[in-house]
Amino acid sequence: MRGFGAYKDRALRINLTARIFTEEALDRDVIHNFIGGRGFGIYNLYKELTPNTEPLSESNKLFFVTGVFTGTSAQAASRWIVFTKSPLTGYVGRSVAGGDFGAWLKFAGYDYLIIEGKASRPSYLYITSEGYEIRDAEDLWGKGTKETQERLTERHGKNTRVACIGPAGEHLVRYAAIMTKERAAGRCGVGTVMGSKNLKAIAINARRNIAVYEPEAFSELVKEQIKMFNNNKTCQHHKAMGTTDTQDVTNSFGIFPTRNFRYGRLIDWQKMSGQEYLKYKIGNDGCYNCSIRCGHIHYVREGPYAGSRSGGTEYETICLFTGSVDSSNVEATIASNQICNDMGLDTISTGGCIGFAYELYEKGIISKNDTDGLELTYGNHAAIAAMIKKITYRQGVGDILAEGTMRAARAFGRGAENFAMHIKGMEISGYDPRGAKAQGFNMATSNIGASHNYGYAVQEIFGVPFPRPISRFDEEENADIVIGNQNTKALLEVGIGCEFSQGWEWFPVLFCKMLVAATGIQEFGDVNYAMKAGERIINLERLFNVREGLQRKDDYLPKRFLEEPLDTRGAPGNGQVVKHMDKFIDRYYELRGWTAEGHPSRQKLAELGLQEFGCF
Amino acid sequence: MSAEVGITVNIPQFIQHLTNNTKSVEVIGSTVGECLEKVCLRFPQTKDSLFDKDGVLKANILIYVNRKSAYPNELGRPVKEGDILDIVIALAGG
Repeated sequence: MRGFGAYKDRALRINLTARIFTEEALDRDVIHNFIGGRGFGIYNLYKELTPNTEPLSESNKLFFVTGVFTGTSAQAASRWIVFTKSPLTGYVGRSVAGGDFGAWLKFAGYDYLIIEGKASRPSYLYITSEGYEIRDAEDLWGKGTKETQERLTERHGKNTRVACIGPAGEHLVRYAAIMTKERAAGRCGVGTVMGSKNLKAIAINARRNIAVYEPEAFSELVKEQIKMFNNNKTCQHHKAMGTTDTQDVTNSFGIFPTRNFRYGRLIDWQKMSGQEYLKYKIGNDGCYNCSIRCGHIHYVREGPYAGSRSGGTEYETICLFTGSVDSSNVEATIASNQICNDMGLDTISTGGCIGFAYELYEKGIISKNDTDGLELTYGNHAAIAAMIKKITYRQGVGDILAEGTMRAARAFGRGAENFAMHIKGMEISGYDPRGAKAQGFNMATSNIGASHNYGYAVQEIFGVPFPRPISRFDEEENADIVIGNQNTKALLEVGIGCEFSQGWEWFPVLFCKMLVAATGIQEFGDVNYAMKAGERIINLERLFNVREGLQRKDDYLPKRFLEEPLDTRGAPGNGQVVKHMDKFIDRYYELRGWTAEGHPSRQKLAELGLQEFGCF
Repeated sequence: MSAEVGITVNIPQFIQHLTNNTKSVEVIGSTVGECLEKVCLRFPQTKDSLFDKDGVLKANILIYVNRKSAYPNELGRPVKEGDILDIVIALAGG
């Protein structure tokens, strides 16, 4: 078995144009500075991409990256991550997924894949421990992600795992996802880039063969991790509910985006509470080797959505397919999730775009003539499925919405820009920034656009008192919290640790011990050293964006949050607006060691050992 | 039974609208359960947010004692004078 410790010490470069494969060893300095996972992703994206590359051109590249722990016995840590230049934002694109695919990539012998060029016709990659090839995918083109995976598994055997795009990626919907089973690398349009390369799927047939540097020590640490998880109430609750009851909290707080971020609560949200979702649960699903199995499989038995089955309806999907259209219909949400998964669409951006369309319809900017007769009136959940299909196949108004709210608003004109709820071009996750300001500022300053998971503000949403309790209505006072959350998340994703596991007591101390046992690199055991790697990742992501022209204004929240008071429909926090956007940004940049334009300063680059990246 | 002592209970923001925006209270109690009971006596509306119909601490409510989780058997966990309790929602994200 090749490699050292948990690293396979091998990347596989695939040039789809020339149909050439090249194996490359890892750079030791890069390992020491970036550790793995997300660190490898941004390092390679920055180094490999020519500035101002058109995201959907042959010149853009895709990086499928595993983490240090991917494929090992570590719990909640076998995820994989995709890096590219996002066609939605024009900035760094990072999207994380679960399932088994990451483990299989490592079993095949690779820490990451570099995919460049463009295949001349629909193709898929077939990778095994013994070799690799580009195969024809004409018969798969046009198929949903479910059928694509079924066909490839049937063709290559049970021991095959697949990551693929659906029709949305083929039609270059700018927020297309890459799916494995029903887990999505959903955000930033990573599936769109895959589609632009005529790459339908990656199928990997491999058998388990992961080594770690100190097997016995690692095994003991994993036992400790499992014990921590078993004794952690948040973990146990997550095991029972997944994220299907987060809407109970966000509605109570008045931060549940409703009617395109005009209200903070659904009037009858109790009809779609976590307890209601349990009535539709028929099973669980999980990521490789993770005992938590937090994915809930839901099934609709009767009514207009009978037969709908969704493997893992999560909070964001629940929010974006209910609040956006002001309907609390659970069954419509399960159906919408299933369709998005099969079409290969990011549910957050899709729901955001549909919510945008509903508001434009209300305001008369679009009408039934634009929607082929669909009535986009609030409460009408029946139009959602048809809208998803229109977006997927770029039919009628769907062709415009497939561009995302930022570009669609320009196309619609007539003031539509005022209702386009995005940050850096990416649609906003299920938290209203006026009532959850640290979360809002996290999404504003995120290098990938409006992602809640760039640095989730557990302190204000759940009241976690670490490193200190905060008020969800404070603004620049919490810049340090936003920064800390973003840096720690970046470190977690070198693993690639699961977002949800961050509060289950293993992070960062046990996490760092496990890094040492997995790799044999002693420095990783120093939490301060590891945290610095997290900060380094954030700064390199920022440098990538600066090179692409990012300006201070790109870190602003949409005008609605600054000017329109939040109507919480009776929940606490009514009337809140974001009052001090500039003060927050000033403080955030200052604490980050960035200039007033949001660029990492020379001193900060020197401190992080990133001087070579700042010369542009 | 141990002597009753003074404990600080930090009221989380998600129930401060039920405590007239009171952010912290001092209570007397020898266990976490007794302390929370005192909070509910003083602010009766908080009870439904913390306990289910059978008086069991809700599955999504977590108690920290001096910034350490009191789970499992939170309500029976002994506390001593000067201890600080935090009430947290036991969700992992969204």
